Amino acid sequence: MTAQETGLDPQFRQRVVDTMTTVLDRLLDRTEPVTEDMRLMEELGLSSTLGLELMLEVEDQLEILIDVEQMDADQMKTVGDLATFVAGHSQAG
Amino acid sequence: MTALEAVSVYLPPERIPVESLAGPLGLTEMQVKLFRRFHGLREVGRDPDASPQRLLMKAAAGLDALRGQEHRVRYVLYARTMPVVVPYPANPLHEVCRALGLGHALAFTVTHQSCASGLLAIDMAGRLLAAGAAGGQDGQAGPLALVLSGEKAFTREAQMFADTTIFGEGASACLVSAFGTRDRMLAYASNVRGEFDNATGANDARLQREYRPSLAEVMRQALDEAGVALGDIRVVLPHNVNMVTWQRMCLLLKFPRDRVLLDNIPTAGHVFCADVFANYKTACERGLLRPGDRYLAAAVGAGGGATFAAMVFEH
Repeated sequence: MTAQETGLDPQFRQRVVDTMTTVLDRLLDRTEPVTEDMRLMEELGLSSTLGLELMLEVEDQLEILIDVEQMDADQMKTVGDLATFVAGHSQAG
Repeated sequence: MTALEAVSVYLPPERIPVESLAGPLGLTEMQVKLFRRFHGLREVGRDPDASPQRLLMKAAAGLDALRGQEHRVRYVLYARTMPVVVPYPANPLHEVCRALGLGHALAFTVTHQSCASGLLAIDMAGRLLAAGAAGGQDGQAGPLALVLSGEKAFTREAQMFADTTIFGEGASACLVSAFGTRDRMLAYASNVRGEFDNATGANDARLQREYRPSLAEVMRQALDEAGVALGDIRVVLPHNVNMVTWQRMCLLLKFPRDRVLLDNIPTAGHVFCADVFANYKTACERGLLRPGDRYLAAAVGAGGGATFAAMVFEH
């Protein structure tokens, strides 16, 4: 896997979404499944700390390194926004 | 105008890897990974044999500008994160004053703004000196204040702020004048937010949300008061809370990350009120500050409420 600064690989992005929703289900201990269009803060109540834990789990499971320095958390409204960022700002770990 | 005449910092050479703190602090493997990977905290300094008094003395020992000038020191301020650091009736501040030949000075502790108390103490020292300095506007001979900071990471609460930072031991000693020219304070702004008292933890999530915008606001307030644009700031001297907070601050402020001095976070940790002074020394040692450069020191004190503080200087 290479850095994907330009042109997202839709398959990779979908893997990120699937991983993130699975991890969020567990982290947030939800009964209803997390979906891509859910809002991270308002709907899921994701804190900064849990957000970082999510990133760490995604890194581990997908064996990638996410460029968190470029992550503007305020621009990541939904699970899908975050997945798009991760898919576009990561490289093989 | 309040000015820093000299700064000395002591950071213990002994470093403890964050993994070694997992057991004593009860950290999970995930928390250790978070501290290392995203917070950038690899190790912290500890001086197990040094008392609080000894820590302060080690910082003061490097303050060459104090020697022979003790008689000019009118105030000694001890800026602290923790309200209580030794059992009664011990008092490291008064012990240090006696040891330094400053028994004549008015000595007191500045606290209740947690890790932002250091900047408050600098401002307070300058105001006290200016108020009492009739005819003493000659920086060479005017009255001085000594601002000390430094604490032991002596309880779990003093060793870690959950999922945010790990405290390292160290100390700083700073000689302040009212009308000096060396590092002149152009502005100081602070915002005390009592609603973030952590006694209940009820507002933790809100504090996380408002932390960076509130710090950015107080930084802009200090810059406005100083009449300096953020782009003209040569270097930001941050509090060493963690890397990711400052990386995100840079995005929020649109300020280049390489002009925020983050060098000490991985190896020293968050050294209570001494961070900005340690970072000042590092900036000087690295030649980052030239005469006339403006720089900004920023700190957040969280605990019994939250205080956001920023100070603009001219080197």
